[in-house]
Amino acid sequence: MIDAKRFKDELYDLLNTLYDSQKENIEAAAQAIKDCIEKEGVVHVFGSGHSVGLGIDIKDRLGALVPIHIMEMSDFVTKGGVPVEVFMDRHDIFERKPNVAGKLYDLYDIKPQDVFIVISNSGINGIVIDIADLAKRNGHKVIIITSMKHTLAEEPRHPSGKKLYEFGDIVIDNCGPHGDALLETDGVAKVCSVSSICNNCIAQSMAARIIELLQNDNYELPVLNGDKAHDEALKKKYEGRA
Amino acid sequence: MDIMKQYFDLIKQRVDDAYTKQKDTIEKVAAMFGECMESGGVVQLCGFKHGEEFVNEMNYRAGGIAIFHGLKLKDLVLNGLISQEDIDSGKIYEDLSVADKLEQFYELDDRDMYCLVSFYGDEPLIIEIARRAKEKGQKVVGVVNKKSYRGSLLDYCDLCIDMDADEPDTALELNGVKVGQLSSTVSNVIAQMLTAEIYKYYVDGGKEAPILLSANIKGADVHNNSLTDPYGRRIR
Repeated sequence: MIDAKRFKDELYDLLNTLYDSQKENIEAAAQAIKDCIEKEGVVHVFGSGHSVGLGIDIKDRLGALVPIHIMEMSDFVTKGGVPVEVFMDRHDIFERKPNVAGKLYDLYDIKPQDVFIVISNSGINGIVIDIADLAKRNGHKVIIITSMKHTLAEEPRHPSGKKLYEFGDIVIDNCGPHGDALLETDGVAKVCSVSSICNNCIAQSMAARIIELLQNDNYELPVLNGDKAHDEALKKKYEGRA
Repeated sequence: MDIMKQYFDLIKQRVDDAYTKQKDTIEKVAAMFGECMESGGVVQLCGFKHGEEFVNEMNYRAGGIAIFHGLKLKDLVLNGLISQEDIDSGKIYEDLSVADKLEQFYELDDRDMYCLVSFYGDEPLIIEIARRAKEKGQKVVGVVNKKSYRGSLLDYCDLCIDMDADEPDTALELNGVKVGQLSSTVSNVIAQMLTAEIYKYYVDGGKEAPILLSANIKGADVHNNSLTDPYGRRIR
């Protein structure tokens, strides 16, 4: 029987698997981001579709790191000149397109020491792969968050024949199932997705670890603490970049 | 204990708490959503800033129920009806005329109901959306953090889900620095528990639940469009 309790119980098991199997990858990502921040770098976060939630979750709130920049899909329209009809076309889904990501990438002030986090559950769509590819070609460290079960079960949509995880210096598997939904039903479709929950746990635990590593190095923390003057000064420091 | 493990342990504890404290409410809300959907209505979701995470978690989601729709300020920005600057400055959340723009932009229906997300329950725009719905006799569910609640959103709500987050929303401390937000993750878990209970509502009634497949599975577009096409612009 499917109900809230079954979801909770299966999620509990999944979170145990996620921590046990990925703690070393999350640690490696935290180290890379700590190094980037200590060189006055910024972390550019890009996720299409529901993957955008990870960036939102660790930004603009008490305890959040300031040098994080969300590359917003909507910037394609508001800053990148893509017509809204093209962006919203249900029959030719924008996030699947190859060879358009450069329009977004070129909008931002990206410095050599910056790190990228690219998130996609399936890891097969054009734009995420092109962003990771561009970042890598430009010499940036790339952290990928994806579902290995999903990505390995699907054919690539990118003309290179590659999938997102192949572009990662560090790859964190969110341990979600193929198709993202956790609970088997009697029908074809499974129910209750887990990628946002797993991605948030990865992001929040990683952010906490980054702060701990910065403290160990006695680096002045670029973290919002609720003090207006402090927070505004920090935002000013990263203005135009984050 | 390492800080990453602390976060994972806390989340699991909060998932248990959310279930224990709110399973009855989640069942009631799921039944209210199910009744609305079965009578031709769409559940309209709206939340701003971090509240948008809950909206995204229920709206057009892999393994989710199809008959939700998100009211998003971003859609108004993309179509030139409001400016990104007004969102960034926070002015938009106090501008009640934006409720008119949302009503004009989307195809809303009297059979619809609303699920409105606001940590403090105090954003004038979200309260206005609730007030208008209530005035028309539509059902409204509020999702707030009861510990932090300081507004009037719940005056217009039939049922309330509690995010049950700390105030301030930081769960861990590193040498005096507060880190580790739980509210969005716990809210996402509540959203998925709701999904499970809506599915159960359909099955218990002898009906097939309209479950979406991940759009990144071969053949999913055909399945998903068959669920959403009958609603036209009301859903997508």
